[in-house]
Formats: sequence, structure tokens, C-alpha cells
Amino acid sequence: MSLYIHIPFCRSKCRYCSFTSYARREADIPTYLKALKRELKQRAGDSLRSLYFGGGTPSLLKAGQLGDLLENVASLFNVERGAEITMEANPGTVDKAYLAAIRRLGINRLSLGVQSLNDRELKLLGRIHTAEEAAEAVKMAREAGLDNLNMDLIYGLPGQTLDQWRETLGEAVRMAPEHLSLYGLSLEEGTPLERDIQNKLLPALDPDTSADQYELAEDLLTAQGYSHYEISNWAKAGRESRHNLGYWQSQPYIGIGVAAHSFIGGHRTANTSDLDKYLAAFANDSQLLPEMDEMLSPQIELAETVILGLRLGEGIDTDKIGQKFGVNLLSRYRPQIGEMAEAGLLERTGGRLKLTRRGRLLSNEVFWRFLPG
Amino acid sequence: MTTSSDNQGVEQAPIRNFCIIAHIDHGKSTLADRLIELTGTLRREDIGEQVLDSMELERERGITIKAKAIRLRYRAGDGRAYRLNLIDTPGHVDFSYEVSRTLAACEGALLVIDATQGIQAQTLANTYIAMEHNLEVIPVVNKIDLPGSEPGRVLAEIESVLGYKPNQVLLISAKTGQGVPQLLEEITKRIPPPQGSPAKPLRALIFDSRYDAYKGVIAYLRVVDGRIARGDRLRLMGQGTELEVLEVGYFAPEMRPEKELAAGDVGYIATGLKSVGECHVGDTVTTTVDGAARTLIGYHPPKPMVFAGIYPTQPEDYQGLRDAIEKLSLNDASLSYEPESSPVLGNGFRCGFLGLLHLDIVVERLEREFSLALVVTVPGVKFLVTTTGAQKLTVVNPSDFPDPAEIEKTEEPWVKISVITPSGFIGPLMELVMASEGSYQHTEYLGQFKSGGELGQRVRLEYEMPLRAMLTTFYDQLKSRSRGYASLDYEFIGYREAKLVKLDILVNEVAVDAFSRIVPPEKAHEAGRAMVARLKELIPRQLFKVPLQAAVGGRIVAREDIAAKRKDVLAKCYGGDVTRKRKLLEKQKEGKKKMKSIGRVEVPKEAFLEVMKLS
Repeated sequence: MSLYIHIPFCRSKCRYCSFTSYARREADIPTYLKALKRELKQRAGDSLRSLYFGGGTPSLLKAGQLGDLLENVASLFNVERGAEITMEANPGTVDKAYLAAIRRLGINRLSLGVQSLNDRELKLLGRIHTAEEAAEAVKMAREAGLDNLNMDLIYGLPGQTLDQWRETLGEAVRMAPEHLSLYGLSLEEGTPLERDIQNKLLPALDPDTSADQYELAEDLLTAQGYSHYEISNWAKAGRESRHNLGYWQSQPYIGIGVAAHSFIGGHRTANTSDLDKYLAAFANDSQLLPEMDEMLSPQIELAETVILGLRLGEGIDTDKIGQKFGVNLLSRYRPQIGEMAEAGLLERTGGRLKLTRRGRLLSNEVFWRFLPG
Repeated sequence: MTTSSDNQGVEQAPIRNFCIIAHIDHGKSTLADRLIELTGTLRREDIGEQVLDSMELERERGITIKAKAIRLRYRAGDGRAYRLNLIDTPGHVDFSYEVSRTLAACEGALLVIDATQGIQAQTLANTYIAMEHNLEVIPVVNKIDLPGSEPGRVLAEIESVLGYKPNQVLLISAKTGQGVPQLLEEITKRIPPPQGSPAKPLRALIFDSRYDAYKGVIAYLRVVDGRIARGDRLRLMGQGTELEVLEVGYFAPEMRPEKELAAGDVGYIATGLKSVGECHVGDTVTTTVDGAARTLIGYHPPKPMVFAGIYPTQPEDYQGLRDAIEKLSLNDASLSYEPESSPVLGNGFRCGFLGLLHLDIVVERLEREFSLALVVTVPGVKFLVTTTGAQKLTVVNPSDFPDPAEIEKTEEPWVKISVITPSGFIGPLMELVMASEGSYQHTEYLGQFKSGGELGQRVRLEYEMPLRAMLTTFYDQLKSRSRGYASLDYEFIGYREAKLVKLDILVNEVAVDAFSRIVPPEKAHEAGRAMVARLKELIPRQLFKVPLQAAVGGRIVAREDIAAKRKDVLAKCYGGDVTRKRKLLEKQKEGKKKMKSIGRVEVPKEAFLEVMKLS
């Protein structure tokens, strides 16, 4: 089992953000932690192979608060020896002491939200740190003994050229992180960034430049010895994110906290995204009803398993999945596989089905074809 | 001022038949509601959504009828009880044929004008028609309760444009009711009683008809002479249809059966007929035995002005489309259709509409009420082609056009068109007709209204032009260039020789006949360029590069390329993203169904209609 805990607090809201996060409500953290503990108690029991603190900005938790929470988890679950314990951190919120403290507490994987190493871009995105602070954070993390580091970077920014991306990427690679997550900017309605583009204060996004940037990353990172193990994720050997692999391999997971999702036995649920609703439910120890509750039909579950699995660089083992669902994948999906193979987006090699280089960039076109109906 | 002609010999209240004409949003419906309320016909709380516009009444057995005429009872200041028949007029000038028939059922009209906006296009267009029918017009300035209203300015405008002095105009607020009691008095005083006699042979004008599943066609009638009772055997003088009156009555506003309707009155008969096509608006009803000799008004079926092809995006929906058009036409006598087929689009229908608005409404209703996804295409005319081998061919589908090398002569249908417009718009209209390959014939001056006014001088312009040029946007352009005031009529005058070529559009090297057009050779290049440019905007990027070409014969006259799509990916897909992502993909999949697959290219159905709108 994997456990995810959401810490939805941020110092300020980035200009592109449409995630569940609340700025300037750090005063509610203690109450939130109490609520988390109540929810944890209700979901206790499993043996954990990975634990993930995501957000928002989990690094807004004081070391003491994190320690307390970890202790709580350890008392309610069986945290396996060698379990991967990840924490997301904003480079603008950490210092040497903090990083050393969390390492001591058991965090063995750090995911830094760097996004860009170009100060102009960082400003555009509304990040609270500079490129230099990000580099500092990496250095301090190493000194604190954190030897499994991930960096998040965003490409496809308005006006961002291929060269500017090449520079950021090069800089990042020089810091030798074990893992890189690269995301094309997604423009969400209602965000300041989207408004700026609507009002022509910023140039519109260019999908072709974005595609070039992605391909550049693929070439550059392969040359540097990273394995492209998922559409947006690269890792040095053995340093893939165990927790996230669970998602793409359709493994079960429990999500705790605001907006957290769980997936157990084909049953998907999600907590409310409303912080106050969440706090209220646990204030009187009442049961929090999920905001979303879906029992996946076998057809949908099959489709999701295939779609998530195809996100992985190694693709899917068609026999294995077929066995699990009692179908012959290749004949069930013969037309789609044929069409996509002909279009050069899918390839079949040694019992596996995987996206090609072009297929990764156009993966949505492949995926919708595997939906039932 | 009741006269002895007030329904003499019959126990009936004196009658006044009138309608309300107004520009959209100037308050026609609110005024109707207020009249209904103040005459006690319905209490305020029973007036749900505005009575005329959304009048769908359900009776015990679930029959729904739309009321177009309401009988109001009014006790006037002189102590007499009046019967005021309020008849509704259709809103848009696309339906001017129907407007005209409705007005023929009235003696008077309330001309409603917004106290802020003043006289608008539709007000005037319908006023012209009211005057042509010799109706007594009572000008009414409405919405005087609003802070921004300028009744003084509007009164001046009315005097200058229509010639009515301020003391002839009523100031009201339909919303608050201010001035409306006086309006009711004026209706009884100024609008003349109906002329006609119940003793003469029956003549009743059909001013609307609707199909009802239980009673057959309901014909809305204005009885001019004679009487109608249940069981009467009647005949439509224009169409020849015979029927038996299953029920006769009036609208209260719900249907209320009555013993009989007599000369001067307005109501309905249930005919038992199967389709409104058998009971045309404008026709005169009389008895089969000892009937009247002459009809009330000349009867012409409404003429289609715009033609287009309608096809289902998925061929398996053809049956559904056929059923849908049949059902829709039961209640829309002005929709004409016949089967047509296209090599690229499959089987569909060629339809005739009263205008582009009518087309939009019909397409929207077909899609919405019958859950269809449709493609609407550029229409065509019948060409006569004489080949070099002396064969005479009739060509409707552009793809049936022979090779240019084999064509000896091409002939196309021409029409004589009559445009009636205020003289101020002669310039832009002349320009439009010339650009549409028309040739000017002559101008006739129709004279002024009352004391004139700036738009009072009307003219009739006569032109000859190829029907081909009139087919798509001509009518709408006519309206927009004349601010809605101009009207159009046309008649076929024969075939004339034409120098024409077939412009083909190829999408991914497949000729799409739905886009093909027959154009004069000198326009081919420009038309081709416009079409490929527009298609490039409308067709989304595919998984491969798509060439768009315009060609005449084998020669490419214009080309654009749509670059292949490179990126369509969701970057983040973690536990919390899966459901949302799946829903987005489901939407993407649904979207494909609204596309027509042509040469492996997914073309949105809107592209067909948009391309058709390029004139």
C-alpha cells in the first residue's frame, strides 16, 4: 500500500496554479494536523511501501510538526523497512537546519519545486524563490544527506525559446539530481497567467515550440544517462519514484487530507477540496463523506489500467493485463492498436505495447481510443 | 362609436380585432400580459411566463396548443362590454409572409415603440405592412417608467418618420400598467369594428395553423362573413382541401369550444387534417355547399429564399434525419425538402427556407429536439449543360458537372427580383445586386405615407439576376444593407447562357463535393483562396499534414497546408488526476462524433455551414 498526505498550504499562490492550495492560512496548520491524525486513525492498518507528502507546500510544516505526523503514521501503519518517504519542498522555504532535521526524521526523498532556473521566468510564474536560491537548496540538501533528489521543471512558458529551455535544463543537469519531472505548462482558466495571455500582455503558448522543447529534453537527458521511465519523468538507474510508479501500475493507494484521492480494489474516492469543510468534519470526529466516490466498472478499470500503463516508458505487458481482466488485449483493441501503430504512435515489441517518441507527445490521441463505448 | 354594422342580428358584444407590432424587446409580450390582466381574462398570478410567447397549455389529456389569439372581455367607459381579440404576430421579418396574413385578420394594430430606443427596423417594416392592409394604427410609446426614457424625443421621431402628432400617441408602461387603461379605451374608440355580415356565405381567413396529435390541424381563423358551427363541412378555396369541423371555439387563452363563431370574430376550428401542409396560412375557408365565390386575399405559398443541403454526420443517422424533417414539417409549412445525395456526404436532403434565420432555427431544432449531428452544405441550382456531343444534361450536383472540355454550352436559371425599400437604401442595394451579377431593370416609386417622414418614400427596384447568386447570403445582405426595411420577392424567368466553371475543394487530396461551387471563371481564384483560408481556420490539426486545395478542372488555383499536430498530452497524471483525465479524454472522444471523416481528415460539422456562408 502507498500513503499520500496532502499539505494544502502555501506562502503565496503561484500565477499558474490551479491546484488545491491555500495561501496565507498557515495559522490553520495545527488544526489541520489534528484533523489529519483523525483521518489517519480511520484509515489505519496497512503495510506501507511508500509515503508521500505533497501539496501545496509541505515544507511549510515545522520539523517538529513533521516529526509528530510521521510518528503518528508509524504508530497506525506498518512502515516497511526501506519504504520510500518523499516530501515536496519549495526552495524558498528551506534552510540547512531544516533539511538536516527532516532527513533525520526519515525523509529519504526530496522533491524540489524548482520550475525554472531563469529568474525572469520565475517571476512570470510568480514563484517565491530565485534560481540561485534553488541551487542553494540543492547544495544544502546534499549536505544534509539527502541523496535522492527530484527537480520539477516547467517548459512551454509563454515566450520561452528553445535556447532558454536548453539553458535551464543544462543548469539542472549540472546539479545532478537523481530524478527530473518536466511538465509542459497547462494554462488553467481563472489563473493570473491565463488572464495575462487573454489580455495579450503575454504571448500565446506555442505548441510546436513546446514539442521541440520536450524532444530536446528527451535527447539531452538520455545522453546524460537518465532513463525516460514515464511521459514526464526521468530518473537515474534505480531512482524512479516508487510512489508514483504505483499510480501508473494501478497499485492501490490511500490519500489523506484535503482533495486527496484513494484507490482500493477498483474503488476510487476523493476528499473535499474545501479546507474549511475538511476541518469542520474532523472537528467533531465525524465521518468525512467523500466528495467523489466511484466504483469502476471492469471496462473502465481496464481502460484506465491500459492508459496509465502506457504512460510508462516500458509500456504495458499485454498478456499480464489481459490475464488480470480475462480478455485478450490485442484482439479487444485490435483496431485501435492497428490505427495507432500505422500512425507511428504505438509500437509492439516482445509482448509489450508502448508509445513511440511521437506517441508520447500525442499520447491523448492514443488514450481516448482505448476508452469503452 | 359603435355602428349598426357591429355584428347585426347576433347576440354578441361589439368586436375589435387588433395585433401588437413591435421591435424585439420593446415590450410586446409585457403589454399583452397587462391587457390580459386588466381585462380580467387571467389573474396576475395565473399569468405564468408571458402568455403569448410561451403559451403551451396542457389539457387533461396532455394536449399542448400554442395560443396565437386571445379573446379579452372589456367593459368600456361607455358601459358596453367589448370583445377584444388580440392576435399575435411572429417576431422576425424572415416570416413576413406570416406577419402579413396575421395582419389581414385585424382591423387595427398597436404599434409599440420603446421610449428609450425609439423607432427601429422591425417597427417600421411591420408598420409598412400594417398600412398596406389599411389597419388603424395606434402608436404607443412604452417603458416610460424607466429612468433613461425620453418620451419627448421619441414622440418627435414618430411625428417625423410616421407622421403621427403627439396627441395621437399613447404613453404607457406595460410593466407598471400606467396608461394601459386609457389604451383599452382607445382600442374601442379608434379601431373600427369588423365589416362583414353573418348572413352572407361563409368566408374565413386562416391566419395560422398548428398540428395537434389528437385533433389534427388546428386552423386559426378570422371569420369575415357567415358563421361556423361544429359539424359544418368546409372547403379551403385555394388548396381545395375539404374538412369537417370537429370543434369550433376561441382562445381564453386556453382553447374553449363554443357553439359557433360568427362574422367579425376570431377563433379556431379543429379540422382533423393530418398536416399543416393541407391547411395553408392565407387560404380562405368557406362552406362546401353554397360557398363564397371569391377568396379574401390572394393566396401564395411562402417562397423559399435560401436553399441548403442537410446531411447527417454519421450515415447511420439518415433514417433519424428523415423522420425528424418529416415531423418538423408537420408544423412548418414553409419548410420544403426533397432527398438528395452526395458522394462524400452520403444521403441527405435539399431544403428550402424563408431565410438564413429560418435555416438556423430549423437546423438547431433538428439537432436539439431529435439529437442529431448535422452537416449543412452549399446549395445548388439546376443547370442545363449541352455537351460537345449534343447531349442535353440537367446537372444539380456540382460533381455531376462534365469536364470543361466536353461542355458546349451551360445555361442557368434566372430570376426577376423585386426589392421594395425606402429610397435611402437604393445605393447599397444597387451595389449588392451588381456584385451579385444582377442587371438593373427599372425603379417604381410607391408613394409616401401619411405626411411623409424620412423613410416614407418607398421604391420598388426591379432587377434580373442568376438564381445561383441569390442562394445563400444575398437575402441576409439585403436585410442588413437596408437595416431590415427592404423586402424581396422573385420569380423565375427562364434559362440563360452562362460562362461558368466548377470550383472544387480538395481536402487531403479528396474532392469534397459538399464544398464544390459553380462560379464565373474570373471569380474562381478569389473564391478558391477564400475557401481554403477559411477551412484552414476551421479544420483542427490532424495526426498528419493536410493539404487544402482549390481547383478548376485539374488546375490548382489556391492552396493552404494544415501542419500536423505534434502535441496533445497531459503532463501530470498522478493519483488525484486520473478521474479528471479520464473525463477529459471522454470529452475528446465525444467530440470526434461531431466530426465528419473525409479522406481521413476529421472535419467539424460547423465547417460546412461556415464555408457555405462565404458568398
